[in-house]
Amino acid sequence: MIEKFIKHFNYYVSLVSIFIVGLAAAVIASPNFSLQIFIVILTIVIYVLWGILHHYITHELTAKIMVEYILIGLLGLSMIFFIFMGGRV
Amino acid sequence: MIKFLAHFFIPQISNNYRSKILHPKILSIFIIFFFLSGFLIYFVKNNYPQVLGISSDISIEQLLILTNQKRQENGLSPLKLDSQLMQAAMGKGSDMFSKNYWAHISPDGTTPWVFIKNAGYGYVYAGENLARGYSNSEDVVNAWMNSPSHRDNVLSSKYEDVGFAVVSGNLTGEETVLVIEMFGATRLAGEPSIASEETSSEIAVITPTPVSLVGGISPIPTAAPSLIPTPTPVNNQVARQVLTRNSNFQIEPIVNGAVFSKDLTRSITSVFIFVLILDMVIIERKKILRFVGHNLDHVLFMGLILGAIFIIMKGSVI
Repeated sequence: MIEKFIKHFNYYVSLVSIFIVGLAAAVIASPNFSLQIFIVILTIVIYVLWGILHHYITHELTAKIMVEYILIGLLGLSMIFFIFMGGRV
Repeated sequence: MIKFLAHFFIPQISNNYRSKILHPKILSIFIIFFFLSGFLIYFVKNNYPQVLGISSDISIEQLLILTNQKRQENGLSPLKLDSQLMQAAMGKGSDMFSKNYWAHISPDGTTPWVFIKNAGYGYVYAGENLARGYSNSEDVVNAWMNSPSHRDNVLSSKYEDVGFAVVSGNLTGEETVLVIEMFGATRLAGEPSIASEETSSEIAVITPTPVSLVGGISPIPTAAPSLIPTPTPVNNQVARQVLTRNSNFQIEPIVNGAVFSKDLTRSITSVFIFVLILDMVIIERKKILRFVGHNLDHVLFMGLILGAIFIIMKGSVI
């Protein structure tokens, strides 16, 4: 597990950076609900594309892995959609 | 039952060494569930607000108690609920909804002091705190206390009176609850009670009018307050009328849509994080070779979703 982490260290650093930038942008966009949702959706799309691209670069990309990233991304999107429709106080 | 749960959450031979919940078919079911539930929650919220809607448990009584509690903890005298400041706060809330803005100064340049003056409160010091998106009074007061400029207002020794308004409506396309807190004092800090004749004559020579700054906004110069300020006793009857009107501002739904969607999403996200970590650890220990994506990616991603929910659902103060 640690070996794998070290092997893909740069990828994980970039991923965490993307997430931090996305969350920081969502904080700055407050209290604009629609803009916050848009920023989170954009971060999700970048996550999926970056995950697939990383596996492509490391020659590990298979159709199964691609579907997995798309489905995990869609799961995140559906959750954010659900939150958006539920509204907030 | 245990076998079923193990099959669902623990990687083993029955699920081809990948927790069933992480299989594409189950993931697709969750995706469809969230999308359909989103549409359903929206439909019910709009057509049956008494069943599922947005509500908040913010009351003026609680705001006053909590504000005074914070002041007393810091050795300050409690603020009195003032009917004119309540009226000013209501005026400000209505103005924000009618002109569709979320700021101390309206797009046409109207400052908070205009509402205070229009309500008939002859202030020497005045201040304003605003909050939106909070579901209870405690969170509102805590948010103000965590912000240095708002905290300064809550803990200012210059203020004697306070007025609150809790107003709901559609602001910038979003159903929301606004909390307006107006502070004021009708005499200079440190001066003895204005009931004294001698003191009144002393105050009469003091000009100009000091006004406190709120959140960096520059208050407009105001006409000098009445030189012999008239005290504004709290008219309990009037205060109570405003309070009741504000407190019953909406239908109380059986289910709070915002809380329900937030809690459900948070719970399911946490389950996914748990299963992904469990899956990662077990497969690593058993040294099984699989061709799947990095679980750690997905754990971080689920962390992003949790963080996003926290940020999006958090209220804001200005």
